[in-house]
Amino acid sequence: MKFVIQTLFIMILSAALQALLPWWTMAIGAFAVGFLFASNGWRSFFAGLLGVGLLWLGMSLFIDISTQTALTERVARLFPTKTTPLLFLVTSLVGGLVGGLASLTGSILTYRKPYRW
Amino acid sequence: MKFTRFAIFLLLTTAIIYSLNRSWGSVPALGKFLDPFHGFWQNAESGPGINPEVELDGLGATVAVFYDSMLIPHIYAANDNDLYFAQGYVTAQHRLWQMEFQTHAGAGRISEIIGDAALDFDRTQRRLGMMYASENALRSMESDPVAKEIVTNYTRGINAYIATLDYEDLPLEYKLLDYSPEPWTPVKCAILLKNMAKTLNMGEKDMEMTNALKLFGKETIDLLYPDREDVGDPVVDNAGNWKFKPLTIDSFPLAVPEGLTSVRRVDKPDKDVGSNNWALHGSKTRTGSPLLSNDPHLSLSLPSIWYAIHLSSPTVNVMGASLPGAPAVISGFNDSIAWGMTNAQRDLVDLYKIQFRDEKRDEYLSDSVWKPARKVVEEIRIKGKPSFFDTIVYTHHGPVTYDQSFHAGDERNSYAFRWLAHDPSDEVIAFHRLNRAKSHAGYMDALDYFAGPAQNFVFASVRGDIAMRVQGKFPLRRSEEGKYVLDGTRTAFEWQAFIPNAHNVTYKNPARGFVSSANQYPVDSTYPYYITSTSYEAYRNRRINAVLGKLTEAGPEDMMRLQFDTYNLKAAESLPVFLQALDTSSFNDKERTAYQVLRGWNFYNDPDSEGASYYEAWWDALRPLIWDEMDRNKYLLDFPTTFTTIKLIKENPGLSFFDIQATPEKETAPDVLRKAFVLGVQDIEKWKSEKHKGPRWADFKDTYIGHLLRQEGLSVHVQHGGNHDIVNASSRTFGPSWRMVVSLEKTGLRAWGVYPGGQSGNAGSPYYSNMIEMWGQGTYFSLPFGDSTTISKRIIARQQLSMSKQ
Repeated sequence: MKFVIQTLFIMILSAALQALLPWWTMAIGAFAVGFLFASNGWRSFFAGLLGVGLLWLGMSLFIDISTQTALTERVARLFPTKTTPLLFLVTSLVGGLVGGLASLTGSILTYRKPYRW
Repeated sequence: MKFTRFAIFLLLTTAIIYSLNRSWGSVPALGKFLDPFHGFWQNAESGPGINPEVELDGLGATVAVFYDSMLIPHIYAANDNDLYFAQGYVTAQHRLWQMEFQTHAGAGRISEIIGDAALDFDRTQRRLGMMYASENALRSMESDPVAKEIVTNYTRGINAYIATLDYEDLPLEYKLLDYSPEPWTPVKCAILLKNMAKTLNMGEKDMEMTNALKLFGKETIDLLYPDREDVGDPVVDNAGNWKFKPLTIDSFPLAVPEGLTSVRRVDKPDKDVGSNNWALHGSKTRTGSPLLSNDPHLSLSLPSIWYAIHLSSPTVNVMGASLPGAPAVISGFNDSIAWGMTNAQRDLVDLYKIQFRDEKRDEYLSDSVWKPARKVVEEIRIKGKPSFFDTIVYTHHGPVTYDQSFHAGDERNSYAFRWLAHDPSDEVIAFHRLNRAKSHAGYMDALDYFAGPAQNFVFASVRGDIAMRVQGKFPLRRSEEGKYVLDGTRTAFEWQAFIPNAHNVTYKNPARGFVSSANQYPVDSTYPYYITSTSYEAYRNRRINAVLGKLTEAGPEDMMRLQFDTYNLKAAESLPVFLQALDTSSFNDKERTAYQVLRGWNFYNDPDSEGASYYEAWWDALRPLIWDEMDRNKYLLDFPTTFTTIKLIKENPGLSFFDIQATPEKETAPDVLRKAFVLGVQDIEKWKSEKHKGPRWADFKDTYIGHLLRQEGLSVHVQHGGNHDIVNASSRTFGPSWRMVVSLEKTGLRAWGVYPGGQSGNAGSPYYSNMIEMWGQGTYFSLPFGDSTTISKRIIARQQLSMSKQ
């Protein structure tokens, strides 16, 4: 349950930050939530990965569906991956990776038990 | 321990953010680019995407803009300053990236954006004097108060748009290449026009002709590269009626510099650049009013070369195609007249071989004087690398384009470049006035300001006149002068004077009831000035004149049908002769099929035609086989024209050039035709086995509207007939870049247009490529033209540009 809440917090705070500020400010949000929730490394990482990854996936899907644009396909063809599902995946992973790492970094300062990896 | 670990992950996270926030080579800044809140996703639009109310600094009064169903803006302004401001704003709103990219290309600054792959291109642009030409044009604009106001306000409008942009609003290409727009400046308007001049003038072949002269001799030159092919009607046939007293210059034996030129030319514009225009007198139309048509054949690209626009102020009501980055309408119509252009083809470029005093290149010989050279160091910035510095030597002729450090091939050779576009000129005024012309007199007055690139301007008026004028500033030439590289040490070979405007080729309301041009020879043989060019068109013009000559009671649909006409006159004149050369008994199955398809072909390059594919594949194999003596890898040489090639096949089949050098046998024209036929059929078979389908012409040709960045994902393939040498001149990547038909009726002018693209340059907009299919099918959009009340009933979006409140 805590994990789900943590993920949601990251999602909301990141959305609020990067709606107004440059994309990488979502890392500050993920970092702060990671710091506050003080979970272990893996949990923090996955909360960030899912929180930001799902946020980016949801937002890009929303844009794609609501505008019915040919842009997604055109941009997908600019990348070696070529297909639109992969473009959504890459989008989510890029956001998720940064969110995950930031969340993990934040948790290091507050997590009490020793890391085992 | 904790803090070490924290430091490591903090560093790692920061490093990853940093590397995703910048581009690496051709990989975009992935974090920024993929971010759905600001990145490329934000370029997705479901509708017109027009901001209905915009407040801007620099406007005098409120401007209303209505967008019709094709997203063509109809701009209503209270004065001309606001009108040009709004044109700048609205054009930038749809085409900002393209405008900047094209002017960067013109100025030789592409390396800044894409890296050193473009360095050679950039150096070429600078060494051709593109900026030198643009700055001269700017000085001329700024010395004229009207032109200055026009470009200043147009520039302000573009910059007002740029000022509204945040990262998420930037056009897709900026995000892809990770850079931002810089402020527009008036000189960019000049660069854009010089870019067009370059496209239309650089077919010149002085070095190729010089080499041909040295290798083959004068007699062969006259056979292979005649100044005039003497086929069909010239643009203007006014035989015996050139009543002026021509200017003359002292005759002087032509001296072509010693030796072959070893230059390796980098860019050679495609010969498929060309255009059609014509106007039909009211005596030949259904309504009794003139009909006018224009279709310029240029590179097919996305975003499109043209942007359709309607400009209205108390002094003007004009609509048509504009060039994004240049004020006013370029090919279009107003309440009273319509006009359009085709390239005049004339030779406006010369190369002078320069003799420097020594290796320092500080002085060069001119008559018996050593003149000081001016050196300019050009800094070419390169993305991700240190700048490249290129020293360009300027002579009084112009910049030295090819020398020891650039493509000269031989360090002793230096060639200065003299180009008409280097001279100051007033094209901005020409179009400003042409947009406002009310009659034939107004058209003539406006064109007096037009220096280059020389064009055949067709004209028709609601009053009922039709006219043609070959307008440009043409150097006065001695016979044969300008065909070859010139001796730069002697001032006698320099341009001494220009043909006065009043002596330019022109006529009005000819007896045949129409005027037309398709890049053919400009004038009858009684015209008293020497004319030379790279080549003149031999087929489209004859087909157009044959069709127009027969028309009576014509309507706009006849004009559209002719613009879309795919009759291959070249094939009709050559294929029967080609087929006779074949030996039907030696065919394999594939060749027999090809032979039968060709025999049954009706000479139309229609999309479904297979005969067209076999013919064109045969021709494409034939030409290099015949002219195998002209291996461009050894020396710069230019193949003779299609028309001359076919004429020689028919009339001179034993000519030594038909011998294929790589074989021991001595071939004649029929032998080469047979060999080329085999190769052509092989090409088709190879294509068939790769594509797993029959060689329909539209599939085999595969007309392709390519994005300016050559990105397949942003480009579009379209089913389309035609080809070069055909009225519908769509080859693979060149073709009718704008088709316009105007009916100049007294009860109200009507017009239609279409182009292979869309008004929006944004690949995320439904208006990016929405006209392409209609263009491919030869259908047109009715161009709504009228006052704001009429137009406002037929729109999909409205926009109000008003003064900033501060």
